Amino acid sequence: MNTNNANTISPETLRTEYVSPETCVFSKNENGFLAATINGKEYKRVILTRSLPLSFPSDYICISDIEKNELGIVEHMADFPKEQQALMNDELDQRYYCPVITKIESIKEKMGHFYFDVMIGDFKKSFAVRDISKSIRQHGDAIDLVDIDGNRFRILDFEAIPSKSRRKLEPYLY
Amino acid sequence: MSKKREKKPKPPKPEKGKFPKPLLRVLEEAGLLTENLIYCCTGDMDNEACYCSSWLSFDEKGLYIALGDEEIVKSKRKNHRPDPKYTVSEIQSIPLEDAESLETERYVSTGRLIMKKDGEQISLVRFSIGKIAQFENFARAFNTYKKNGEAEVPASDEPEENKCKKCGKPCPPGKDFCPKHNKNSSTAVRLFKFFGGYIPQIITIIAIMLLGTAVTVLIPQISTRALFDDVLSNPDGLPVAELLKALGVLVLSIFGIRLLNTILTVIQQYITGGIMPNVIYDIKVKIFNAMQRLSVNFYSSKQTGSLMERVIRDANNIYWFFVDGLPALIIDIATVIGVIAIMFVMSWKLSLITLAAVPVLFAFLTLGDKFFRSLHHRAWLYGARVSAMVSDNINGQRVIKAFAKEEDEFSRFEKLSGEHMKAELKLSLSEATLFPILEVFVLLLSTVVLGAGGVLVARGELSTGTLLSYIVYLEMLRGPFDFLSWISNWWARCADSAQRVFEVCDAKPDITEKENAVSFENLRGDIEINELEFEYEPARPVIKKLSLEVRAGDMLGIVGKTGAGKTTIANLIARLYDAKEGCVKIDGIDVRDLKLTELRRNIGLVSQDIYLFIGSIADNIRYAKPDATMDEVIAAAKAASAHDFIMKLPDAYETRVGAGGQKLSGGERQRISIARTIIQNPKILILDEATAAMDTETERNIQHSLTKLKAGRTTIAIAHRLSTLRDADYLAVISDGKIVEYGTFKELIKQKGEFYKQYKIQSEALKTIGIGVGTGGEKPEEDEHEHK
Repeated sequence: MNTNNANTISPETLRTEYVSPETCVFSKNENGFLAATINGKEYKRVILTRSLPLSFPSDYICISDIEKNELGIVEHMADFPKEQQALMNDELDQRYYCPVITKIESIKEKMGHFYFDVMIGDFKKSFAVRDISKSIRQHGDAIDLVDIDGNRFRILDFEAIPSKSRRKLEPYLY
Repeated sequence: MSKKREKKPKPPKPEKGKFPKPLLRVLEEAGLLTENLIYCCTGDMDNEACYCSSWLSFDEKGLYIALGDEEIVKSKRKNHRPDPKYTVSEIQSIPLEDAESLETERYVSTGRLIMKKDGEQISLVRFSIGKIAQFENFARAFNTYKKNGEAEVPASDEPEENKCKKCGKPCPPGKDFCPKHNKNSSTAVRLFKFFGGYIPQIITIIAIMLLGTAVTVLIPQISTRALFDDVLSNPDGLPVAELLKALGVLVLSIFGIRLLNTILTVIQQYITGGIMPNVIYDIKVKIFNAMQRLSVNFYSSKQTGSLMERVIRDANNIYWFFVDGLPALIIDIATVIGVIAIMFVMSWKLSLITLAAVPVLFAFLTLGDKFFRSLHHRAWLYGARVSAMVSDNINGQRVIKAFAKEEDEFSRFEKLSGEHMKAELKLSLSEATLFPILEVFVLLLSTVVLGAGGVLVARGELSTGTLLSYIVYLEMLRGPFDFLSWISNWWARCADSAQRVFEVCDAKPDITEKENAVSFENLRGDIEINELEFEYEPARPVIKKLSLEVRAGDMLGIVGKTGAGKTTIANLIARLYDAKEGCVKIDGIDVRDLKLTELRRNIGLVSQDIYLFIGSIADNIRYAKPDATMDEVIAAAKAASAHDFIMKLPDAYETRVGAGGQKLSGGERQRISIARTIIQNPKILILDEATAAMDTETERNIQHSLTKLKAGRTTIAIAHRLSTLRDADYLAVISDGKIVEYGTFKELIKQKGEFYKQYKIQSEALKTIGIGVGTGGEKPEEDEHEHK
């Protein structure tokens, strides 16, 4: 069997293409989007995607071009210089941005729907959730809520929000 | 003469793709010329994803982005839309020639509108992900305007904003009011309409219930007051024989009243029992019928379990409320009114003491109910999680055993079940604590009433019998009060179920037949796909400007990687979904203009997911043609190479299949499904990975059946295994929703492109395991070609 044949699935093709600070340098293009030079090739815009967005948001970051072709993976962001990390974080923050709930004013249940009045910083936001047990996801200290329109809201640290707010949401957590 | 009040017209809804008039005025004041705006869209964030109002629009000169705020001022008028107050802080104008096109990008919780200028991407504004459909439409309108001078947006794609007409707060999809302003009565009225045909019976039931309550309320008057005051205390000094006679009359009266009450209850339950199954039957039929009308999309977006719950559990929730809850409610309200009235007649002084305690009792019950609801909910959530885990475990038993994970699964179950137990324990302990407190309170009230009553008896203001019967009446109030404190939850549960039922009944199918839909006169089977675009979710296109043509009687093979969009094309041809852009034509007629039944009757679909209904094999084969004779059934089974294995089954064609029936192999089930399609005799045949899950031997048999089936029909065959497409007249290679290669098998091999690459990979893989690429181990076509 010819293992060097290009059409044969070889261990080589299955190997993950990790990039290092030496092989991958990020920058911002003139329109504020993330650009990169990977293995000497310039990409005017690259997209970063977290492989484990909830458990390891700074590890296993997939880099792809705008056609969604994978260009490589950043195994640990911490291996990159600080300013490179800042560029990556900026792009990731935009992609994974979730309005952060700082206070829960009220949760009212009526006719199978749950109506939330919350504070997102200084902004008061109201939204409705249909199936509360399926619309809440806990990961570590954080809680994600998805409303009837598919919008996602996050409580970064459940223990850090006011106790009154905690008591309102607690019955629906498990 | 009374002056007829003129009905004030409601303010009109803003036209789709246009701003409301008050906003236009504010934008004008801020310096934007709004006269000639072509298309508008409202967002909720700025370019930095900070919440604010954003208003996007364009006219023939430019693209405009205004940022500001929208404050909802609640309307005081009933059912009136809120009056929003707008403020504009910033307006950005982009000359139309600078903006080449617009596109949206979808992120986790937000989206971004991007403008293309000289091939560069420029971010314009962000928005919540729930608004992506509006922004997609805006981008589409802009792009079509730039292209041909007309903003085209299908009206059906423009989603309604789910905001309450009264306060502007979010409300469930399809509803005009949030729950605060949504009158439950509308649900109640719709529910009561199911009882429309039984009005005389309902009036009789209510009359009987009221009569029964009146009788019940009178019982303590005879059984306690009259017994003590008129007989046992012997006020007239009657001799023993007379006294016994009076006692006998009294006992018989009590018996008679109780008997009458029981008879009334039996009659009431008999009539209710006669109505309710009919009403529940009507509800179930209505849901099932509505579900049949709905499109595939509805089923993909809802879990099967949740739909089954709607048909069975929700209908039963409604049933129990009307059978148990509503009669009890009527009886309890009548009891409370009747008992309190009698208590006042007996002693207004004692009644005032009692009434003073009622608010405390009611508050106690309501608070307790709220507290228990939270505990119940938590216990229910854990219970649901345990059930889900058990179901997961049962379905995944083969995998669990294969990975020897029994111990781990047990630990997981033990942990979760332990949490459930703790929640249940907390609930039981709380109930065990709270209810005795309630008992003590009621006992205290009875003691106070007894003490105060004793004083009144001592003063001669009240007889002993009256006091004792008063205590009995007091006890009679406890049950109704307890019931009334939680009936609202019962009703909420019933209304919740009703709402879900009505949601299915009111859902509009995505695929509808036009009023003037046309029929085929004599279908040839030409298929033409023009610039087809489709997406299951906004901003996630699956098919991108795809065009192809299949002549009647020809076979087109579609190949491509998983997720390339092959099955979607099949779904669009059969009109299980409607295209976003472009069209599918059959014999030159857009499938959206055709009668649905006729279209589907002429398209046979054999897919990888084989579904056999509960019933006999013969019933399944004749599914498309219920009047098919047994000769036709056998002929179809023979053509599908199914006859031989069917005859080996003990009950042959009468073997029961489907859930709980005879277990058949994948190949056998597929052959039955092919026989089902043969009997349908469609002009167009779609084979969607029909043999993907089969072994080589079975595949060869099925290929043989399919060859017979394909004769004289237009065939579209979707396959992973390229060898199965050798007979295709031409092949289309799909990648990322687009055709990347097109031609005959030999042409594509010659091209040495994607098809050739896939073909080589498959042939190498099969060589490795000692099988030729074809089904019968023949030499690969490419090698033959190379030899030539």
